[in-house]
Amino acid sequence: MMTRLLRLLARWPTERMLRIACVLGLFALALMVTGVLLGTPLPVVGAMSVAQGFGVLACLLFGLSIAADVASRRP
Amino acid sequence: MGSAFTPFGALTLVTAAIAATILLHHLLFRPKLTPGVRMRLLLGLAVFPFVAAVASTGSGMVRTTEPTFCGSCHVMETHLQDLQDPKSTSLASRHSRSHIIGPTACYTCHADYGMLGYPLTKLTGMMHVYHYYLGGFRSWSLEKFHAEIRTAKPYPNQNCQQCHSGTLASFLNVKEHVSLADELAQNKVSCASAGCHGVAHPFSKTKEELSR
Repeated sequence: MMTRLLRLLARWPTERMLRIACVLGLFALALMVTGVLLGTPLPVVGAMSVAQGFGVLACLLFGLSIAADVASRRP
Repeated sequence: MGSAFTPFGALTLVTAAIAATILLHHLLFRPKLTPGVRMRLLLGLAVFPFVAAVASTGSGMVRTTEPTFCGSCHVMETHLQDLQDPKSTSLASRHSRSHIIGPTACYTCHADYGMLGYPLTKLTGMMHVYHYYLGGFRSWSLEKFHAEIRTAKPYPNQNCQQCHSGTLASFLNVKEHVSLADELAQNKVSCASAGCHGVAHPFSKTKEELSR
């Protein structure tokens, strides 16, 4: 099971996924900042819901990419 | 200018700026994944965004208690104008002139009392946003809104009694309070009815409704 998981992770396109995580993270941060700067209903609700969803997704992609990078360096 | 100058707002902007700088640097320069770069990405994708998310949520929670937030939808403009009018004698306006209630006037009076009052009030507010943007209220004229929209449930007297205690002498010395004690407790008579302390907002009821 562990070996299969490591093999699966080794195929993970680390660099590309990290770049996607960065873009998602930037989008989430932009939504949060918009909510704070505008302070009207839709941006505020967006900052407290959609932005956090994108942020969690970016963080998960980052975690998986680092795990994949570590797995690919194993002898 | 939203809530940029509040502590939560400022913290959101600062942490978001730091995280965005890290992420943009990674996207533009594409460095190799060394332990240092991993650590930097951890800061840019997890630590600083987490702080920004918590701060922006705090900022949003504070912002949603401000009257200007409620008044940012056009159907609430007249409510806000009346609230801010120093000459208005409406119940809402007189209450909003208190320095304790004023900064969060809509929220203080409309938040339900009790342990779940805060989250339930926020959920009700979400329904208002839903009705406004997806339920068609956005295209309604102010006249149509005043004529057709009423509170979803009778205004609970307990909300008034969060501040106006029903056990103090100043309350009990009023004959009407004593004679209507049961009706007030059961919400059959509203503190904010025309014959008592007056309607909260001058346009929340038509003349016909007031004369009933």
